[in-house]
Amino acid sequence: MGSHTHTVTDSGENLHQVTGPSWRIRARRNSGLIVSLIVFTVVVVVNRVLQPNLFDRPVLRSNLTTFLPLVLASVGQTMVVLTGAIDLSIGGIVTLVNVATVALFGAMSGRTGMGAILLPVIVGVATGVAAGAVNGALVAYLRLQPLIATFATNFIWMGLALYVLPTPGGSVPDGLCRVYRGYFIGVPNSAWFIVLTFLIWYLVRRRKLGRYLYAIGGSENSAYASGINVSAVRLTSYALCGLFSGLSGIALTADIASGDPLVGGPLTLSSVTAAVIGGTRLSGGEGGAAGSIVGAMILGLARNIIFFANVPPFYQDFVYGLLVIGALAIAAASGVRRRSI
Amino acid sequence: MVVLPYIEATGIRKRFGGVVALDGANFACERGEVHALLGANGSGKSTLAKVFTGIVAPDAGEIRVEGRTITVRGPADMYRLGIAAVYQELSLVPQLSVTENIMLGHEVESRGLVHESKCWEVAAGLLSDFAARLGRQLSLHIPVMDLSPADQQIVEIVKALSREPKVLILDEATASLRSREVEVLFELVRRLREGGCAIIFISHRMEEVMQICDRATVLRNGKVAATVRIGDTTPQELVKFMVGDVDTVGRQVKARVDAPVALRVNHLWSGRAIKDVTLEVRQGEVVGLGGLQGQGQSELLKAVFGAYPIEAGQIEIDGRQVAVRRPADAIQLGIVLVPGNRAREGLCLPRSVFENVTLPSLPKRSWHGLLSPRVERAAATGVIDRLEVRLGSMFQPASSLSGGNQQKIVIGKWLLSEARVLLMDDATKGVDVRTRHELYRFIRNLCDRGACVLMNSSDNAELVTVCDRILIMYEGEIVEELSGSSLTEETLVAASLRVEAGAERAGGFVREGKVHGEPHPHGDRQR
Amino acid sequence: MRSPLSTCTNIGTGNVRRMFANPVALAYLLAVALFMLGQVLSPGFMSAAQILNVLRVASFLGIVAAGQTLVILAGGEGIDLSVGSIMSLAAVMTAHITLARDAFLLHALAAVILIGLALGAISGLGIACLRIPPLVMTLGMASVVQGLTLVYTQGQPRGRSAPLLNKIVVEPWFLGIPGILIIWLLLAIAVSVLLERTSYGRRLYAVGSNRVAAALSGVNVQRTVVTAYALSGMFAALAGYLFVGYTTTVFLDIGGDYVLRSVAAVVVGGTSLAGGIGTYAGSVAGSVVLTVLDAILTTLRMGAAGREVVHGIVLVLLLVAYGRQRKLRQ
Repeated sequence: MGSHTHTVTDSGENLHQVTGPSWRIRARRNSGLIVSLIVFTVVVVVNRVLQPNLFDRPVLRSNLTTFLPLVLASVGQTMVVLTGAIDLSIGGIVTLVNVATVALFGAMSGRTGMGAILLPVIVGVATGVAAGAVNGALVAYLRLQPLIATFATNFIWMGLALYVLPTPGGSVPDGLCRVYRGYFIGVPNSAWFIVLTFLIWYLVRRRKLGRYLYAIGGSENSAYASGINVSAVRLTSYALCGLFSGLSGIALTADIASGDPLVGGPLTLSSVTAAVIGGTRLSGGEGGAAGSIVGAMILGLARNIIFFANVPPFYQDFVYGLLVIGALAIAAASGVRRRSI
Repeated sequence: MVVLPYIEATGIRKRFGGVVALDGANFACERGEVHALLGANGSGKSTLAKVFTGIVAPDAGEIRVEGRTITVRGPADMYRLGIAAVYQELSLVPQLSVTENIMLGHEVESRGLVHESKCWEVAAGLLSDFAARLGRQLSLHIPVMDLSPADQQIVEIVKALSREPKVLILDEATASLRSREVEVLFELVRRLREGGCAIIFISHRMEEVMQICDRATVLRNGKVAATVRIGDTTPQELVKFMVGDVDTVGRQVKARVDAPVALRVNHLWSGRAIKDVTLEVRQGEVVGLGGLQGQGQSELLKAVFGAYPIEAGQIEIDGRQVAVRRPADAIQLGIVLVPGNRAREGLCLPRSVFENVTLPSLPKRSWHGLLSPRVERAAATGVIDRLEVRLGSMFQPASSLSGGNQQKIVIGKWLLSEARVLLMDDATKGVDVRTRHELYRFIRNLCDRGACVLMNSSDNAELVTVCDRILIMYEGEIVEELSGSSLTEETLVAASLRVEAGAERAGGFVREGKVHGEPHPHGDRQR
Repeated sequence: MRSPLSTCTNIGTGNVRRMFANPVALAYLLAVALFMLGQVLSPGFMSAAQILNVLRVASFLGIVAAGQTLVILAGGEGIDLSVGSIMSLAAVMTAHITLARDAFLLHALAAVILIGLALGAISGLGIACLRIPPLVMTLGMASVVQGLTLVYTQGQPRGRSAPLLNKIVVEPWFLGIPGILIIWLLLAIAVSVLLERTSYGRRLYAVGSNRVAAALSGVNVQRTVVTAYALSGMFAALAGYLFVGYTTTVFLDIGGDYVLRSVAAVVVGGTSLAGGIGTYAGSVAGSVVLTVLDAILTTLRMGAAGREVVHGIVLVLLLVAYGRQRKLRQ
């Protein structure tokens, strides 16, 4: 959205200057993102203080490869939360994609070449999209309540994952791990992937679809009255969520280089928290995936901080859990006074 | 030569739950015509508008455009046919900007992406027709929720116009606009008319209807009462069509004027709904809040009950100033609220009659939180008998009762609470005549015993019958008081519509005038 | 903006009310039917011993479902996802405090009940006062409690159940009925009295069926909701305490299975997810139904994976039958 100026002639033959939104309006619109960037900076500084080698290349890479799955999952969650709904089955979808991909790698062991890597990856991502589409159909067309419906489907995905791979194991081709952990012109690939994710989000937002996500979240009735096909857009939001969950599953697979039927559990709550930290409101209509990406990285760094602050090992989960609740509480309390017309 | 109506609805029926909104309504509008759709509250005019725009699916009936019957699956179909509407309750998304709202649903695209600057241009061009003529520059990018209601209304109008409609429905489009803005809108409407647009104009402002419309159709109780040419009629006649034959019920015995004041409200302010309201109700008195619906009557009653925030002002009970912050406080003081919207505010429908009736008075009868079934049953039976509620068993769900009996329960539950001030918020809406009379008698009975009533009603006949005095409210203020000989239905309706009763038709404008002109304690407010 | 164009998204009760004609009876019939199905699949399924066994296992779910019933009845899309983790925490605390000594049983009971009430109340405050959606709040709480459990046990759950607790829970009190079933029965009576015969129960139903009308009738909605969640935490804790008497050793995630199944039990029993309608008697039946279902799945040699999928599908089907929202076009 550049600030170019156009001139427009109206029916009264008057000339008008048409400019883009002022910086003040843009700041307010992206206030969530700006706050999260500030918090991000603070967290990075604290982390650096506690862990002096934070910016060393290997450490940076290791951090980013760990963060990327949550980053992708959070973007997926944002798609749905923007419409005022939620997806509690993201953890299950990521797990399912992980084990499905690993199982396929297993089936293809012995074969080499790009195909042997690419096919399972594509199937994995497609699994994610399919699961998302099922969620979407239940919510948009059967009109089930999103929270409990996805809560239920989460068990279906986790159960299927457990069926495909009862115990952690399996292996992942070297090629995939090398790509995931590699570097390109000196920058870790995972960083490039994060940049790519920003770009994809930017593209989605610039399309009609992106705008309709916000419209439905802001006021479903107004969106409907304006001729938007609300059901179709909702289904698409869940399918997109499934897509990003699928990508997250692939990233996770490449990161842990194996399959684990319990791996995705914590991702659901973290993806919601990342979105909320990033400025996306649970009530819908405000925020964006850019903030969620930052939010996901904040959560990742927070875990680092807890570790390097020498919090006793068994307290770490507890402290992290308090953080999550704290973030949710703050987001809710700084609540929506401005919403109503 | 017979001109085919451009858009036509025949035999439309629609029922929402138990309420019949439209009962075989017909309506036709021609090209190049401004056709008014008039009616009192509950007459079905908004529902009909929603049927035209595809939001509401009629149970029966047909819609024809240019003679062809059309099937509608949703608003998108309507837009395709060139029908657009300006909704009474606005179809804007609060967080989106002015431009985004205007272009919502039909954004300009290029190469798969929304072409932002082109959208701005289109929106700017449309807005300039309107806003610029008022000397105001409406910023394209402000989120719509930050705009004043008038500006929001303008955005809503421009949004409909951006669809280049062949049929434009204006549902109370002038509600938030000031006279100058209305003038500009009317210029626009005239231009559209010349261009062959069919315009359906829904409004309760008679002077506007007389000014801009060619014909008018009046709905009453979901059916058409009359269709007339504006040139052949007067505002008073239209009001008569809306109100129908005045069903004269015997006037109730009136209260004494020297009884002590039970409730006094002093300079109450709250947001845009209540502006500097001062009134008093004496023991045994029934005071009505008249005027069009939505002028603050409901909010005022709720504020006295502690269910609506008060920004400034005091409430006095029996001369003592009291603080009412929550309904529980009010109930303690003997102030009770009987809401008219039974489904949403008055009853817990899935629960039994028994439970609903005994709910507010539980603390009086419970022993350390425990209830005795016998005592509870006795209490409930007492109320049900006293109000002559017709039901099979008091354990049947409240939803199974008729509207009238439900309302009796809504009132009845306060019987066990020793109410002294009864606030009734359109409490007899949708209640049959026989039950109404029973309720009027009951209210009178309570008043004779020292209680008092402050009531809001959408039924003008009822206000005239039951009340000792009526205070007319308009945009949050009390603008007039009727009592004694001026207490007739015609004066009431005329006062509500700000029409001079019995006057000649003139190009008159809204009557200005305040009864209480105190400045707002928190600074100047835009009028 | 007030709901413009008057469409709203409450969970509709429309013609579903006909199904609610007697859902409790339906649930009990379903339980019997499942028992018979089990008998067909595996003769001996319906023996007295096996029935008692199923009921014994169902009692823990039933106790957790008591709290879940209250929370769902309170309305506002109420649900408590922290019951599993609270149950686990209570179990490890019990084992830890008693350390196989009978004398400390009461201390342990007091401790877990207080903890359960406190944790539930925190959830309730977040939901009623901060307007955090119940699903999200209790999910977050579950995570915190899991962390708390880890802190408490330092990764290694210690201790064993006191023999007295074992006796109370497992051994028959009279007529060959195990203690836990008597406890469950007493609890069921207490909860039913709470719901039917106290002002709290009435207020809970009022708040669940119509929050606005309840508030306008003078009910303190926030206090009612917080109490419901506090009680839910307490029941979950109680279930954990008693469970230790059943299994004698503890592991970290005892309560994992109980979250979804308690919700399903409540819904099967005829309680509406929208709130305001339902009974504990129904949840009792629902707990039995789900436990029999699991027993059948075990008989069919379905592993943990299959069970989870079945649980998920069952809940989805229940939602399709009982919990659909209003359409956009009226």
